[in-house]
Amino acid sequence: MRVLAILAAVSAAMAFAFYSGVFGWRAGSPTPLHGFEAPFVFGRFQLPADNPLTQEAVELGRRLFYDPRLSGDNTVSCSTCHLQRLAFTDGKPTAIGVSGKTLAFNSMSLANLMWGPQRFFWNGRASTLEEQALVPIQHPDEMAQDLDDLVDELGEDETYRLLFDAAYGGLSPTSIAAALATFERTLVSANSRYDQFLRGEVSLTEQEELGRKLFMAHPDTKASLRGANCIDCHSQFLTSGFNTRFDGFVNNGLDPEAELPAGLEEVTGKPEHRGLFKVPTLRNIALTAPYMHDGRFGTLKEVLDHYNEGIRVSSTLSPLILEASNLDNASDDHVSLNLTAEETAAVIAFLHTLTDMDFVTDERFSNPFPTE
Amino acid sequence: MKVMSRQAYVIPVLLLLAAGAGGALYVGSRPAPTVQLSLRFHPFVGEEVLQLEQGRYANPGGEGMFKVRDIQFFISNIRLVAENDVFRETDSYHLARFDSEDGMYVIGLENVTRDSYKHIEFGIGVDPAANGTFASVGDLDPNGRMAWSWDVGYKFVLFEGALELGDRRIPLVYHVGFDENYMQVSIPLAAALFERQEATLDLRVDLLQMFKGAQTVDMSALSNVKFDRGDARILARNYHRMVSLCPAPGRTCDEEG
Repeated sequence: MRVLAILAAVSAAMAFAFYSGVFGWRAGSPTPLHGFEAPFVFGRFQLPADNPLTQEAVELGRRLFYDPRLSGDNTVSCSTCHLQRLAFTDGKPTAIGVSGKTLAFNSMSLANLMWGPQRFFWNGRASTLEEQALVPIQHPDEMAQDLDDLVDELGEDETYRLLFDAAYGGLSPTSIAAALATFERTLVSANSRYDQFLRGEVSLTEQEELGRKLFMAHPDTKASLRGANCIDCHSQFLTSGFNTRFDGFVNNGLDPEAELPAGLEEVTGKPEHRGLFKVPTLRNIALTAPYMHDGRFGTLKEVLDHYNEGIRVSSTLSPLILEASNLDNASDDHVSLNLTAEETAAVIAFLHTLTDMDFVTDERFSNPFPTE
Repeated sequence: MKVMSRQAYVIPVLLLLAAGAGGALYVGSRPAPTVQLSLRFHPFVGEEVLQLEQGRYANPGGEGMFKVRDIQFFISNIRLVAENDVFRETDSYHLARFDSEDGMYVIGLENVTRDSYKHIEFGIGVDPAANGTFASVGDLDPNGRMAWSWDVGYKFVLFEGALELGDRRIPLVYHVGFDENYMQVSIPLAAALFERQEATLDLRVDLLQMFKGAQTVDMSALSNVKFDRGDARILARNYHRMVSLCPAPGRTCDEEG
């Protein structure tokens, strides 16, 4: 009965528009972005009071996102490492920027960024999208651009001058960051087969449905409940990490104690945060290989194998991973989910239902330059 | 001579009547005095102040020492009960947690009608009606850490940590959240609390009561509780009594302890 109630409400709520009359616009102000929608089940989100969603800001942010002039040598744009066809990832284990060096971290997908952990980068070092946007631009190995030089360079372009004036009343590093953040906030992925299933429009196959149930369950042998334990870190609708405090950061057993990287500890200074990284959204996960913060796994099968038999124990490992097993007589020495091959395949089949082809082909998110 | 029509008399009379009625309405609806009430929840493990991650506490029913990594629980449907009146907070779902700088959890109740309240009442957990929906009300979030999944509902109480037993480190995972585990709490209050415009009520949360209330738990024997109703019932009956008033009004539980 609960499922039926959810399906009905989800269907009814899909057309829920968030922005009508919220900001009390004055004549001459930028135009509120009309028609922006997100599924009811994604829940609430907050926008910065000084950076509302406006049509002008979205247009400007999209242009900046795809413009290689944002890098010092005009060869790298945000879209170099965040390709729409790969759900805004780059297919590489870790990113490569203007210096040609292999960087430390995997390029994260950009989808549904207003939900889930509101800290950005794998170690959460940016607390807003605006703050995040300026970091790779200035990083010597990523885009190597001086912000004052960038303002001068963009200021020579009349189109940019007009767009910045219309959106923010002027061109500055702050307005560059605000526009990029605004465009990123519009990158909503909400029409995968899983979304269609939630709206009651399609059924999942038997295998996908088994995978969904396993995804949503922490195993409990005492209650004869089998589970793949995904939901302990990835929320049921968003599939992202949790947005409360640092609940969206987890040590998922990639490294033993002696090799634990700093992770969130670099931000908080707390030893209990060593080796914790941001839990990413699993939306479009079949398109965003390789996986993990360092891109160490090439396929979803390798990811499932890790959770099933490759967990490395350390002092900050999530107890939910340490404790989770589908076998009653699991040993202390070997942490394993003990899923069957059939169950592993089912979870992977479910993960494929999170692919949203509309999202990766949506013209509103595409490169604006070739069409001009 | 200009003769005023009947309508010309009627309109001022109606205006006077309307003004009088408005004045009476104003007098009648003058806001009652209110109180801003802060509920401060102070976490303890027995007599010791909770120290997340750092503290070590004796296994209440067996050997070994345990540590607490995370503790979160819902406080729902807060009511203040007077002789002839009840103040109810709307959308009253609060997720208590103790990882802020000052280590306590605070709920602010605005515009509480001043009255001689005898009891504060609330639920530990989520009432069955709210547990059966996925609306984002208060701190209820279907994409949050406390959401199990839509056909299971919410965890009411989440306790995660580890039991250190010799060389072994046993993960502790206690997630409780069947509908029958929603526990109503009623705590008597001193009427003097509401005599000022701002008031603070200090409450003590003793996490040890989860394992040492109606039934004592050996954490090595019962290191996890999730979907077994019998096990969940043991913890729920225990946590039913884990919140109490701090002993000295106007002072924090820490000062008293």
